[in-house]
Amino acid sequence: MAEKPIQGERKAFLTGNEVVAYAAVAGEADIMYGYPITPQNEIMHYWTRMAPKYGKRFLQTEDELSAGFTTLGGVLSGAKAFTATAGPGNTLMQEPMSMAEMMRIPAVFVIQQRGGPSTATVIYSQQEVTMTTYGGNGEGFRVVYSTATHQDLFDYTIKAFNTAWKYRFPTFVLGDGYQAKMRESVTIYDPQARGIELIKPTPYLGKPGSIGKDREVTHMRNTYNTEEELYEVVMSMAKEYDSVAPEIVEFDAREVDDAEIVIVSHGVVSRAALSAMLELRGAGYKVGYFRPVTLRPFPGDQLRKVADNAKRLLVVESALGQFNKLVQTNIYGSAATIDTIFKPGVGVTSEEIVAKIKATL
Amino acid sequence: MQRLVEAYIGEYASGKSENAINRAIELARQGRKVTLVDLDLVEPFYTLRPIQDELRQLGIDVVAWETRNTMGLGEAGNILKPEMKWVLRREGDIIMDIGYGVEGAKTLNLVEGALTDPDLKVFAVINVSRPMTFSIPDIIEHVQGMGLVQGLLNNTHLGDDTTADVIEAGAEVVAEAARLLNLPVVATSVDERLAAHFPGGVDRLGHPVRILRRFMPKAFW
Repeated sequence: MAEKPIQGERKAFLTGNEVVAYAAVAGEADIMYGYPITPQNEIMHYWTRMAPKYGKRFLQTEDELSAGFTTLGGVLSGAKAFTATAGPGNTLMQEPMSMAEMMRIPAVFVIQQRGGPSTATVIYSQQEVTMTTYGGNGEGFRVVYSTATHQDLFDYTIKAFNTAWKYRFPTFVLGDGYQAKMRESVTIYDPQARGIELIKPTPYLGKPGSIGKDREVTHMRNTYNTEEELYEVVMSMAKEYDSVAPEIVEFDAREVDDAEIVIVSHGVVSRAALSAMLELRGAGYKVGYFRPVTLRPFPGDQLRKVADNAKRLLVVESALGQFNKLVQTNIYGSAATIDTIFKPGVGVTSEEIVAKIKATL
Repeated sequence: MQRLVEAYIGEYASGKSENAINRAIELARQGRKVTLVDLDLVEPFYTLRPIQDELRQLGIDVVAWETRNTMGLGEAGNILKPEMKWVLRREGDIIMDIGYGVEGAKTLNLVEGALTDPDLKVFAVINVSRPMTFSIPDIIEHVQGMGLVQGLLNNTHLGDDTTADVIEAGAEVVAEAARLLNLPVVATSVDERLAAHFPGGVDRLGHPVRILRRFMPKAFW
């Protein structure tokens, strides 16, 4: 059996879905559970093509609810387990996702956003931001990485497993249909050859030894008898989440110091935002660029400073303000004004962003 | 005039459509009557559908669905248009753009007369930068799995990061795989940006070079 899918590193030409599958293998995931839905299908296809070669496993379940719960089961048994879904599949999976929050199960979920509401389009959107960051009943104790490039998809899929297993919060890689299907060159690598230590999973259940003699009973709960008990659990989880958040938060800020307006975007849209910023800077406009990489936890303090300094933001997204809600909540109290480009389910080009800024500056 | 019937098959995102389009344009420029047919029933992204009008303006007859006339693409599967099934009854050259992998190659079974057409040539498009076809054993396994293949086409590239060396290195791998498979290498494809690196119209191993103009990046949906 082949030991590693990638020795050292090399460039390859890949679709985004394939990148995720390769990254999961390179990141030493043990098993994928899944149910097909466009536009994430090739994550499953390529995982299953590689699985026999590298001693990995796969289970196709009857629906996304089951794919989510079996992923949690895999983790409880001590496997690095993940699943991938999109759109209505993400909706169905919210119950297992929120159970992962409550039971602190380090499952990894890859979301390739498609158009909504409901079945809508199989193509593209950024309309799963609210659901991926705060979906399910509960308080959104999750980590969400929003990727912009194939290199991001590779890097953050590997990182997601480490984040999940280190902090024991369910961790999400939030891509979209464009990233899923687009093809571009990407450097794929063996993480260990780059000095990235991959955290080894440990079982939650079925540990060795006799209960009461060698070890305590493992009692994992997602249900409580009284309001007060739940309150204690949620508040202690919130405290822990807030305390690790600064270590987890990631963002990319460029040319913000002297900017009179800052383009704020995430995911694939930030590629257009970055091009627009560079073009406008080239033409002498004082424009900055801010991209949260983590949408949960959100780089709120960092964006607040940028907003106070520039006094104007342009929030751009392929949804009708889901990302903007996160922005507004996190900079509450800032005197900065916010312009927007909202295009639910449709891509945003750098030309549109340039035109909007030229028209308003 | 000898009628040309060519089918381009191969691994996902190996460059089948781009090579089929450019071949059709090349033949049309020679004054030949050419029909380019979208027979990708596997994957609804990156097909001829979004760019068919542009291709028609280049003098090619294109047989493809209009996206607005389809229902549930990517959700409920794709179906063959009657014109696709009977495309080999047309006059002139026929270039077939087939969906990926083994399932894609089976689409030829649905085209009336394809398997008995004496002019049919089935070419497998290989990009050695694609992980499933990184190595010679991978390529051999992949090509043998697809059934009828009469030649390999070296389409090794890395998108915007392609260099002439990447293409030439790919040619060597494809040539060796072809030798072991007892198949010819029909051509090496080269992005037009790099055409100047292949002045004799051949690669280092002497395979004819086909210059590619990129249409597919705008053919997402």
